[in-house]
Amino acid sequence: MTAKVISGKEVAAEIRADLKKWVEELKGKGIHPGLGVILVGEDPASVSYVTSKSQGCEEIGIFDDLIRVPADTSEEEVLNMVEKMNNDPKYSGILVQLPLPDHIDEEKVVNAIAPEKDVDGFHPVNQGLLLRGEPCPLPCTAYGVQKMLMVSGNDPSGKHVVICGRSNIVGKPLAAMMMQKAEGGNATVTVVHTGTKDPAYYTKQADILVAAMGKPEAITADMVKDGAIVIDVGVNRIDDPSKKKGFRLVGDVEYDPVAEKASYITPVPGGVGPMTVTMLLYNTVECAERIGQAK
Amino acid sequence: MAELLKGKPVVADMKEELSKKIEEFKSRGINPKLGVIRVGARPDDLYYEGSIKKTCGGIGLEFEVFEFPEDVKQEDFEKSLKDIVNSKDIHGILMFAPLPKHLDEPKIRALIPVEKDVDCLTIGSAGKVFADDPTGFPPCTPTACMEIINHYGIDLQGKHAVVLGRSLVVGKPMAVLLLRENATVTICHSRTKDLPEVCKEADILVAAVGQPRMVNADYVKEGQVVIDVGINEDPDNPGKFCGDVDTQSVEPLVDKLAPSPGGVGGVTTVVLAKHVVKACEMQTT
Repeated sequence: MTAKVISGKEVAAEIRADLKKWVEELKGKGIHPGLGVILVGEDPASVSYVTSKSQGCEEIGIFDDLIRVPADTSEEEVLNMVEKMNNDPKYSGILVQLPLPDHIDEEKVVNAIAPEKDVDGFHPVNQGLLLRGEPCPLPCTAYGVQKMLMVSGNDPSGKHVVICGRSNIVGKPLAAMMMQKAEGGNATVTVVHTGTKDPAYYTKQADILVAAMGKPEAITADMVKDGAIVIDVGVNRIDDPSKKKGFRLVGDVEYDPVAEKASYITPVPGGVGPMTVTMLLYNTVECAERIGQAK
Repeated sequence: MAELLKGKPVVADMKEELSKKIEEFKSRGINPKLGVIRVGARPDDLYYEGSIKKTCGGIGLEFEVFEFPEDVKQEDFEKSLKDIVNSKDIHGILMFAPLPKHLDEPKIRALIPVEKDVDCLTIGSAGKVFADDPTGFPPCTPTACMEIINHYGIDLQGKHAVVLGRSLVVGKPMAVLLLRENATVTICHSRTKDLPEVCKEADILVAAVGQPRMVNADYVKEGQVVIDVGINEDPDNPGKFCGDVDTQSVEPLVDKLAPSPGGVGGVTTVVLAKHVVKACEMQTT
């Protein structure tokens, strides 16, 4: 079997097209979604992320505001900026780009964001709502994985989903979403991690295998069941002198041999990556609707 | 025959330790105290209240019940509740749920400060549990399972734990607690295909599904540790309770079994007391 490729670019494009329509509808009801982004410092990766977020906002027709401040901005000033955005109805979503400089307490800043505008879904209140299965902004990468499964016709309901990795931003939220008694959930879920004896024993049982442990090409073909659906969340740089930049990006899955066995697979790059920013946009629009309805 | 992992010895050890701690607090002029909020007088709540009172009495933990009439108005209830939860003399709060339907329960729950929320009634506590923040208290029942597992020296590291049931109060937090101890965790439920086969895979099986005696010989195998969390009305013996595990058919097969009744249930109230003492520690240091 050769796997069908689930292109994150294509799924993201479809979702963005839907978002555009949704935004139009909301505007008709007087609800104007908007994203406020705070970027502290000049970290090149962060600059590139926030740029793609701004482009996304433009594409779907929502307001966005990028506040860039120097790396030596005090914690208090950042907290003040967050507070202002919390109180300003033109922002339905607030994002503080992480990582923050060392002198700023990240947890304190994330906790200061109003939970109903927390489009990253990292606020403790949102994590609590997620665990309980109540409506809340879902962490973007995990949400992207769920959307890719649904759009490609691979509803996890009744399937055995094996998630490799137990991070608070991907593994655990995804586990909670997959086990939920709700659309896009209802799966039997196993979480495999660094403390697991014989990970292959579990991965071979997966109908849907999610690799999110951050280890380059660690999932090999012998760890995958024939016909499994393989979602690769990993993005790792490995040295490659043949490339101009001297490196290439690989996932947590050894792509070619696994693609021979799987029924569906996501590539790296171009798989889960493009979904993350798109789901951030999705959360911004969804937060606007939720805030609008609560009024 | 399985070794029975009974709750009583666990309770005895925990109580001894808690008594000492409470004694120490008192010698420093601090009186750890649990406030119980009850609206109306449901028999289940009164029963639980009775066992909490007994537990607290046995270890010198102060305990006060705040009773409200079943038709209490939202506004009045909120006002009184605020005074209670913000009292410096009360370190832990337990509120019996569900509240009568005319009350806005999410709003009321949110009034309980996370640092006093000893049975994970608030969203804030659930978030802390999810993120492995030790200042958030998990619900008492899954914590009681962990107390039993620890007491009997059951190693979780690298073991396969299967949680049967995905409820808010047991299944989901249980999965998080087991992951913390480095178990590989599977959550299965009514939508799982081949449920008996999945349960058979477990080194440790936690049954929290709320179906009387559902887990029978088909679900288990030799060498397993089985924890029965279920407390169900026994369909065969009116007025009696039974677990999710069919003890008679499972006991001869598995290695260890925490039975219900007689296992997790009795430990739950002591966990509540332990949480109050920990909350008191956090609030007074």
